[in-house]
Parts: sequence; structure tokens; C-alpha cells
Amino acid sequence: MLHLKPENLLVQKTLTEAWNANESGTPLTLDRVISDFDYTTLHLSNSPENKAVLWLSIKTKAWQSVLKCGEGFLEHLESKYSAFPGIAPVGPEQGYDYTLTVDLGQLQPDAIVQLSLLKIHVMSFAFQLAFHEFSKLSQQTQDPASFSGSNDTGIVRQLQYRDDENIFVKPSNDRITVIFETFFQDETDKVFGKVFLQEFVDARKRNRSIQSAPQVLFSHEPPLEAASLMSARKADKNRRFITFVLFPRHFQTPELQFSTVCHLVLFRNYFHYHIKCSKAFMHSRMRYRVDSFIKVLNRAKLDETDDGEQTRRTITGRKLVY
Amino acid sequence: MEDWRRIDIDAFDPDSGRLNAEDLTPPNLKVVSASEIEPRISQLRSAATSGDFASALQLVTNDPPYGADETTKTRYFEAVLSVLTQVRQAEIANLVKQLSLKQVDVLIKYLYKGMSVPEGQKQGGILLSWFEKVTQNSGVAPVVRYLSDRRTV
Amino acid sequence: MSQSLRPYLTAVRYSLQAALNLTNFSSQVVERHNRPEVEVPNTSAELLLQPMNVSRNEHEQVLIEPSVNSVRVSIKVKQADEIEQILVHKFTRFLEQRAESFYVLRRVPIEGFSISFLITNKHTETMNTEKLVDFIIDFMEEVDKEISEMKLFLNARARFVAEAYLGEFVY
Repeated sequence: MLHLKPENLLVQKTLTEAWNANESGTPLTLDRVISDFDYTTLHLSNSPENKAVLWLSIKTKAWQSVLKCGEGFLEHLESKYSAFPGIAPVGPEQGYDYTLTVDLGQLQPDAIVQLSLLKIHVMSFAFQLAFHEFSKLSQQTQDPASFSGSNDTGIVRQLQYRDDENIFVKPSNDRITVIFETFFQDETDKVFGKVFLQEFVDARKRNRSIQSAPQVLFSHEPPLEAASLMSARKADKNRRFITFVLFPRHFQTPELQFSTVCHLVLFRNYFHYHIKCSKAFMHSRMRYRVDSFIKVLNRAKLDETDDGEQTRRTITGRKLVY
Repeated sequence: MEDWRRIDIDAFDPDSGRLNAEDLTPPNLKVVSASEIEPRISQLRSAATSGDFASALQLVTNDPPYGADETTKTRYFEAVLSVLTQVRQAEIANLVKQLSLKQVDVLIKYLYKGMSVPEGQKQGGILLSWFEKVTQNSGVAPVVRYLSDRRTV
Repeated sequence: MSQSLRPYLTAVRYSLQAALNLTNFSSQVVERHNRPEVEVPNTSAELLLQPMNVSRNEHEQVLIEPSVNSVRVSIKVKQADEIEQILVHKFTRFLEQRAESFYVLRRVPIEGFSISFLITNKHTETMNTEKLVDFIIDFMEEVDKEISEMKLFLNARARFVAEAYLGEFVY
């Protein structure tokens, strides 16, 4: 399992179960809380009146900052589901940020996948705005009448997706810059992380086949794009900044936009996941190594049967103990 | 005041029979003062600069200043170390062969001392090849004698 | 084996052979006690022998402290950078937590060293001394190899992971 899937498998599985049960005429009684990355929880439950109608609620750390990114966030979410019959937003459930009702009677398989992508859709709003702004800015540049000569840049949008970690998205007229601010709590993670991040930076230079991937930069100081938002907070030496520079080829079509956003949103998870994997592998390796050392040490032990004549045996071959 | 239960009362008892490192060094070692050691150091250095390592090594191993104080020993040791590290790898085996048993014992003391101080550790490779040649010649015996000899260099 | 590793290991081997000459020795201070004299503070000086330092360079050293009934062997493993430091720390900790199956391993290394062994007369009575020396030598060789392999693995993995991630952006 090299890549993390953007869909939430548990949501998919639960919805499929509920749908199957509903088809066979015995709707399930559901009240399931499902966790996702970055302090996101999803809640699946029956609506109070009708067992064939489910509520899917989401609560995520990023919600507040996504709301601040710009107008039209709820419309953006609605548009993702408007194509599917039986899915409609309702007022958010107590303790959650956003709730959708799902009518199992009208549910389509495609819709199940889209529902499991709810978290990605929430996060993608900031990126979506950046894509729009980019196209506006780039048209301005192409139009000589309105082009002011300077490289016009758009506003920086901040996504606070964990307590101490942020994503900054900044469009300009020829690129979109995505900056991850990250922070390692564990000393070991910090050192391993350094190795991994360095490889992210070098990978594109080394491997020709991925030349067209976004450029990756890594720094300890906040990059200029994010510096204005960072100044309020005190600098921490454990902070790291990873910058992805997206060029138009990474977001030309809606499909490309979607896959780019999926990967970017999961960047931190992917990266930490592989740090944990390396640690686990090293642990199993050390375990193996300990065994081999013990084997060498046991070779040093004097054989018990060496003192031959002194051990007397009974007729059945047992050792005689005095 | 520290916990009185932890006071080592035997240390205050003259009849406890406990010995210190000083009690173990043999008595009547010849005392070597700092002023006496200087001419020997310059003798060593001049032998080393003229490339006469065989006689430099004889100087080193014949009469080590067992009775000197620590600072004098360190001064002398620096000179010894510089001699040992100047010798070329290929010559080591030859030089070791010329030493008597007693001299080898002294040499091994300098080798262990060299590897215990940072200046010598930087030259670890050369000291180790000296050590290798010594053990090739006379086996484990000088090491055992080093262990139990209380006279230090 | 590299050119400078061999004399290092031979020196350690000879030093250990000389030091592992132990006898049963009851405590002179406390009746009916029998303890490794090298570990006892304020022990009488005649029970301790000259300590032996074998060093390849500043970062790779072995300290052998012999006494009448026990020998303490401390090894400093090469730690060239941050990653190796962490790997050595993790690895030695992992071993120390399993000290009871290692008989001769000390649970805590002495200051300035990565890992320590304590060999007592009990061990030399039940084990073959030559093989015990072999074990220590083998350990020293393997640890270095293991640490550098783990480091290489980490780099290789990081490289692969990074390329796989960025490869997803190639359309």
C-alpha cells in the first residue's frame, strides 16, 4: 500500500451495507462515528423519522478557516452533490459542521463514492478559489490593455487543518504556490522527516521521468508568500515549510484539478504514514538482529551433556537428579 | 548535608585494610622532576627529526619516568606520541622486532595510554598497527603484564 | 573487512583475552556477598586492574575495565550524523530492554559510551571464554553494518516514496 486513497473506505463500506440492507427491505439501524485524518470525524446515523434516510455529518478542523477563504463555500459543497438524486444538505447536526441527508431509496453507486470524498470536497474549496483567481490573473496578463506590467498576485488563503499546522494557497498569474507548514513533535520523526523532505526536494532533479511534477522547496523560514500571515506567531525552530509550485499543466481540466487537490490534501498524511512505516520496518529488523545476536551468544554456552559420565540416567533414559 | 547512611565509613577507618591506587605503586621509584625530563624530550625530538626511530624507540622504552608526577608524564608522553606517529607503517614491524620483552611491556603501556587520550585517538590507526605488530610478535603476554603492572607511564 | 577495522578488532580481541581471566571472589567488605568488583564504588584498589582503551578514532572506542571477578566492556559506536545517532540510540535501547536474554549485557551503558557489557566469573564458568570474545567482536562488526544498512534503507525508502508521490502529478 504505497498511496493513500482519498476516499474514506469506512464511509463507503457503511453506505454500501446500508444501501444493500435497504434494497432487501430491512433498513439498518445506524449510529456510526467514523474518523478521518486531521481530526476529522464523520457521523452516519438514521434520520429521526425515517430509517431509509441517513444523515451524514462532518466535523473538521479546517472548517472555520475554509469559511474565511471566500464567498460561496456552501454553494460549492452543494454543487458537488446536486447531480445526485436523494442527497440534500440540511441544517448541521448538533456538534458537527455540515450535514447531508441521504435517501437510500434513490442512492446511486457513484454517489456513495462522492459522499466518501466529503472531507476532500470541504478542503478543495480553497484550492478551487485559487484556480478561479489564477485564470482571472493570467487573462489580465495576456490582455495588454489592462496589464499593469507588474506580476499581479492574488491573495493568500490559509487552511488551518491541524492545531499548529497550516496550508497556504497563493495564486499568481503564472503559477499557484501551495505551502505546507508542518511541525514535528517527536525527535525521531523530525530527523526522519528531514531525510524524507530532502528526498522530495531532490526527487524531481534526479529522476527525469517526473520532471513535469511540481517543484518542491523546503525551508526552515517561512517563505515570503506566507510570511505576512506568519509574523503574528512566534517563530519555532521545529517548524518546517514545504512549498509546492503548481504550474498550469497541473490544473488545466477539472479532473486534473481534482486529482491535484486530492494529493495535496493528503500530502502530510502520506508523508507521516511513510515515516511510521520506516520506523516499523526498523523495529522488525532490530528484532531479527537481536535473535541473531542471541544465537551467537548461545554458541558460547558450555554444552550440558559435555560432562558425560557424571550424568547418570535411569533405565527409561531420564536424567537422574540428585 | 548528604544522607548520612550513604557515608562510606570505611574510608575514615585506617584499619579497614582498603588500599588506594597510591598504596599499590611500588615504593622507591626513581623520582623524575620536570627539569630532568626536558633534556630527554629534546633528545627524543632530535632523534625523531633525524629519522633515527630505532634509537628514539630505545630511548622511549628503556627508562620510562614511572616516578614523575602527572604533568611531567603528560609532557613526556606528548613527545613519545609524536615519535610513535611519525614512524612509517612499513617500518613498524622491524622496529618492534628489535625490542626486548621488557621494552615491549613499556611500549604497550604507551599504546594504551595513547588510545585513552583525545590526541592519541585522532591517530588511532597508527597506534593500532603498532599494537598489531606487538601482538604478532609476542602474543597476549604483554597485554596481561600491562593489566597487572601498577607502574604507569 | 576494511583495512583499519581489522587491527581494531584484533586489539580488542587480545585485550579481552587478557582481561577475561576471572575467579570467584567474595566481597571483602560485606559478609556472604559476592559482587562484581568493577561495579562496586569505593572498592579496594588491588581488586581493579589497569583499564584498557582501544580506539580506532574519536568516535569508535572500546573501554575494557578489568577487575578480579568481572570485566566491564563499553563500546562507543560510530555516529557520524543525526540519523546515525538516533539509529544507534534506538538500537542499543532495544537491546538493553532485552538484557536478560543477553546475560552479559549491562542495562545502562556507562557515560560516554553507547553500550556496555558486564562479564562476571559466573559467565566465564558457564560459557566458553573464546566464544564470548567472539560474540563481542561479532557484535561490534554487526552493529556498524546494521546501522549503515538501516541508514541506507531509510534514504532509499524516502527516495522511493518521494518519487512515487511526485509521479502522481505527471499527466
